[in-house]
Amino acid sequence: MAHGHKSNEKVVYVGDSRVKRSNHPNIPPDYTSFPGKSEAFIPNFLLKEWMVGCVVLVGFLVWTIAEPAPLGYPADPTNAAFIPMPDWYFLFLYQFLKYPYVSQDYILLGTLGVPGVMFGALMLAPFLDTGKERRFYRRPIASSLMFLSLIACIYLTIVSWDHYQHTLEANGQIPEHHEREEKAREAAEAGEERPNYTKPAPVASLVDADDPAMEIAKQANCVSCHAADLKGQGSVPALTGIGDRLDKDQLVDVITNGRGGMPQFKDQLSAEEIDQLATWLSKQKVAAE
Amino acid sequence: MFKSVYNWIDERLDITPLWRDVADHEVPEHVNPAHHFSAFVYCFGGLTFFITVIQILSGMFLTMYYVPDIINAYASVDYLQHQVAFGQIVRGMHHFGASLVIVMMFLHTLRVFFTGSYKAPREMNWVVGMLIFFIMLGLGFTGYLLPWDNKAYYATKVGVEIAASVPVLGPYIADFLYGGDIVGAQTLTRFFAIHVFFLPGALIAMLAAHFIMIRRQGISGPL
Amino acid sequence: MSNHEQHDSAHKPVQRKEMSRRQFLSYTLGGTTAFMMGGAVLPMVRFAVDPLLVKKTGSNFVKVVEESKITDEPQEFKFKIHQVDGWYESDPELSAWISKDANNNIFALSPVCKHLGCTIAWNAKGKNEYDCPCHDARYTKDGKNLAVAPKPLDEYEVKVEDGFVYVGPVRPNTRLG
Repeated sequence: MAHGHKSNEKVVYVGDSRVKRSNHPNIPPDYTSFPGKSEAFIPNFLLKEWMVGCVVLVGFLVWTIAEPAPLGYPADPTNAAFIPMPDWYFLFLYQFLKYPYVSQDYILLGTLGVPGVMFGALMLAPFLDTGKERRFYRRPIASSLMFLSLIACIYLTIVSWDHYQHTLEANGQIPEHHEREEKAREAAEAGEERPNYTKPAPVASLVDADDPAMEIAKQANCVSCHAADLKGQGSVPALTGIGDRLDKDQLVDVITNGRGGMPQFKDQLSAEEIDQLATWLSKQKVAAE
Repeated sequence: MFKSVYNWIDERLDITPLWRDVADHEVPEHVNPAHHFSAFVYCFGGLTFFITVIQILSGMFLTMYYVPDIINAYASVDYLQHQVAFGQIVRGMHHFGASLVIVMMFLHTLRVFFTGSYKAPREMNWVVGMLIFFIMLGLGFTGYLLPWDNKAYYATKVGVEIAASVPVLGPYIADFLYGGDIVGAQTLTRFFAIHVFFLPGALIAMLAAHFIMIRRQGISGPL
Repeated sequence: MSNHEQHDSAHKPVQRKEMSRRQFLSYTLGGTTAFMMGGAVLPMVRFAVDPLLVKKTGSNFVKVVEESKITDEPQEFKFKIHQVDGWYESDPELSAWISKDANNNIFALSPVCKHLGCTIAWNAKGKNEYDCPCHDARYTKDGKNLAVAPKPLDEYEVKVEDGFVYVGPVRPNTRLG
């Protein structure tokens, strides 16, 4: 370029600035006549590189069109069933921390010690591997360490993923984002609106709260589990809006014989009381507002 | 027209040498996939940069709809993915692009390692490259919380717990990342700020250093 | 690169009519660049301009008040509309000044002053006019601007069904021609 001024040449500046007045013509050199196979970065080489880029881009776009980005259900700190999994590139570390001697009392070794040494060594590789030789088979220590770490990372990632799949299978779960997509697809096929998980569910309030059945509910200690306002607590479901889920006969059955964690009440309550209670509960509908 | 505007600017700023240096430098044969097919391994660095550019662009566009707030974050992500035209593609670009950047960067790192390209005089560029690697992992980690779904929540929790196990400083790091005692509203805005401003700023500075060093030192010679 | 000057003098640009290899490569590179940027950026641009292209859905009519309660004297009635703003749904309360004109037609005026958007009120100063508290803009009962404001008050579309007044979207005042 025009940088090659001879030292005795007078430098001319543009105005009173420090920008040197240049006299190079704005004509790009033609490399066609250059010997050898090296070529100019622009346009020759970049064109080749961008051919590769185009292939990658098209593949990438097809991927994004074919596969929606996963999204689970809204974060719920009380969700105990969810199996947290980091993104795939953190899996090796995630799995590593499950092993003895890097967990529990030795957790420090797992979180700071081993990864610190590994990543530190990787970062300082040029200062540890100082030989002149560049071919990987001529520097066996560096290369074998790298191969070992690579194999270890791949192994840990695969083990972690397998374990996750097994847990899912054992629990009969499918990952949230798949379930969510599936439900959205079913809703679309049924011509319904896509399920919306962010809209607060319509709050059911007690219908006919001064009905005599409420007294029965209190005496039978329903309120001790289902809460004083019958809105449920913890894993005990709410009874408000129960009429949308169960009809009267089902309610009679549940109260009489119990279900899951719910005890049977056929000894504490008479058949008429159960009937009265079930009739009242079957009226507890959200839509009744 | 274009030429006279260019000349007018060039006369005042002398910009020609800047781009000429980039445009005209000779690229040697051994990295050119047109001459040796195996030289495609030298493309991974450029592809990492290309995907990074896509990440920056798609991220900028996503913030047009996204809100970093625990009540609305999930709703806005759900909205932009399903209600806005091309939302699935733009979010997909950002989500899968993150994985692709990691893959490309990984391959690029391996190429540099196994061709011994980090040896003198290119040690500093390797160190800067590793810093870029860590910044990318940090971007992946902070980006995961933003949609505020269960995965986001629990992955963040586990990640910060790991940081909290560091002796002495651990609890402070955890408090700093949480912005409080729980993964909640303050954590989300914090991670958003780190993901959108701090780490990309650092990333761009590091990339600039990386490229300047490549240009200064040239590509490592053939094996 | 330092051999530039020498190189230039050695090869005085050969004037060729046909496109040089370099030019051809430059154009191809330009095309490839455009393709790549287009492929990556076009979906994002479409994503960003989506609000411009979404079909505007006119707001529905909202039941406000019984027809019998409307008098010649404008009265303020509040009503709630359901507003979907992206991912944020809300039910903001709006108000309208509803009265009958000389032909017994019911009309509803928006309370937003056309001067700078303050909220007007009927007969606030006892002159049987709409008054704006901010800059003393005044309007007649029909919403005609008397002072300060540049335009008459906007009106709501109104329909009467089964003895109830329904109020629809806002539009520029049509009653004053």
